[in-house]
Amino acid sequence: MSSSTIHVTRQHPAAVPGTTGRERPRLSTGTAIVYLILAVHLTVVIFPFLWMAYSSLKSNQDFLASVWSLPTNPQWANYGKALGEGKLLVYAGNSLAVTAVSVALTVAMATAAGYAFVIYRTRWMPWVEIAMLVAMAIPAYVALVPLVATLRDAGLLDTRTGVVLPTVAFNLPVSVLIMRAFFSTVPRSLVEAARVDGTSELRAFLRVMVPIARPAMFTTAIVNTIWVWNDFLFPLVLLNTPSKKTLPLGLTDYVGERVTDYPVLLAAVLLAALGSFVVYVALQKQVIGGLTSGAIKQ
Amino acid sequence: MSTSTRSVAARRDARAALLFLAPAVLFLAVFVAYPLLTAGVLSFHSWDGVSPRQWTGLTNYERLLGDRIFWGSLRNNVLVALTAIVFQVGVGMVIAYWLVRVVPRIKRFAMFVYVVPVVISEICIGLLWGFVYNPYFGLLNGFLNAVGLDELARGWLGDRSTAMPAVLVVMNLTYLGLYILLFVAAFENVDEAVYDAAAIDGAGHYRTFFSVSVPMVWSNVQATTLLAVVSSFKTFSLVYVLTRGGPSNATDVVSTYLFQTGFGNFEAGYASTIGFAQILLTAAVGVFVLGLMRRGKRGEA
Repeated sequence: MSSSTIHVTRQHPAAVPGTTGRERPRLSTGTAIVYLILAVHLTVVIFPFLWMAYSSLKSNQDFLASVWSLPTNPQWANYGKALGEGKLLVYAGNSLAVTAVSVALTVAMATAAGYAFVIYRTRWMPWVEIAMLVAMAIPAYVALVPLVATLRDAGLLDTRTGVVLPTVAFNLPVSVLIMRAFFSTVPRSLVEAARVDGTSELRAFLRVMVPIARPAMFTTAIVNTIWVWNDFLFPLVLLNTPSKKTLPLGLTDYVGERVTDYPVLLAAVLLAALGSFVVYVALQKQVIGGLTSGAIKQ
Repeated sequence: MSTSTRSVAARRDARAALLFLAPAVLFLAVFVAYPLLTAGVLSFHSWDGVSPRQWTGLTNYERLLGDRIFWGSLRNNVLVALTAIVFQVGVGMVIAYWLVRVVPRIKRFAMFVYVVPVVISEICIGLLWGFVYNPYFGLLNGFLNAVGLDELARGWLGDRSTAMPAVLVVMNLTYLGLYILLFVAAFENVDEAVYDAAAIDGAGHYRTFFSVSVPMVWSNVQATTLLAVVSSFKTFSLVYVLTRGGPSNATDVVSTYLFQTGFGNFEAGYASTIGFAQILLTAAVGVFVLGLMRRGKRGEA
């Protein structure tokens, strides 16, 4: 954390290579071209979202008459329809439950495991670490067929619990590595002091280490929230009853059923995307930190 | 300190380590390792997922060798990986360099925009791009008509020749933001003095990028390339929601083909064979890519 904040980001114009130090042109051709390319590229990335936002307010006739035109008479009722017919709130509730439980379990187990990896040096520890690294590269769909059979035998098929369990397992390896990376930055002396105190190992962990680890746990929670909230594969295969489905799954069902009123569909897609977007805007720094540490493994 | 106290401490450590690791290891054992091994066993069986399974030896693997849909979907996975290396890792690196070194004024805004598709669910992204590609009222055809290129307009996802490129465009635009993010962080960690030295040498942006920035963040290049390859072989949701693997398997990746085999055709045994073969191939590709990059690094130095 501390080391990454020291670096220099602001630059002196004179130090920019390619521009000669003495004349300092305000906008060189090269820079102008870069601006232009980025402007076009950013438009391609963001325009579909903007188009979705304004098209969702059109009437179906207006929408079919012209792809580009802005809504002349905003149909706010489209949103009411999408919410009501689409049962989006039911699906969102399921997503919320699955996400909350999965994230809590994952963070708790990852914190304990990440701590153990750094603190305890036993002979078999490297093997557990290798197993975690291998598990990270394994695509979830490979285990899908046996998972369904196992969960069916346990009576957990078509339950939200049945979605939580494999979700947690597949998100654990990366989460453990994020927590391990954090604990390896904690001064050894602090750990020893907490342990020598005569308190039990568990108490030292809970009383001293967990409070220190809170920022890292939050990062782990954020990145897991994004993964679980957006996950599609496990719910698709494991859930069947409509009232139990998560948001991405319920949304595809709704879009599949309702094929004619396009602006209402766009409103539904926008509503489904809104939760992630709002969290991203509100917690931008933490989300970016979470994505960064979630991606760089090893 | 005597050896006995040390061994007591070691034993205490081992017990505590076990306690802290047990929950995570248990989860991984039950929901990752066990299903994986079972998939390995199932891959030698014929099974519909419900009735008793039958040992068929190598029959599934023989079928796999001659299964054109499987090799086609694997080829698509490789395409996803290769385009990801070029258009996510490569382009991400260039854009990140621009944002950090050339146009830092718009860095915050651009990063904000690029990360939006990364945090929104792939299902929403896929449904939205389904509208973009729609043959009747799609945004892309609307654009082509507007600029007078009407002949190019088509049903992008329904046409065998354009479906896979169309899917690849969505994937690369969607995940690019993550790589920009990672390289912006990496480039910002490069010491300013290194750039000053390059500037004194009279190096332009082109040379600075290739002889200073990229070598300085080479470990990140390796890590992100590996990430891109691994993610490419995991890809499922975007393909599923855009095309379901169609038209006639043109956009199938291994995941969608396995899903269709196991849960559409109820060939649970053969689906396990597909998955198991996939793991072995992914491992081979991963090792190959890492080896290649090691050599690339050495060649440069």
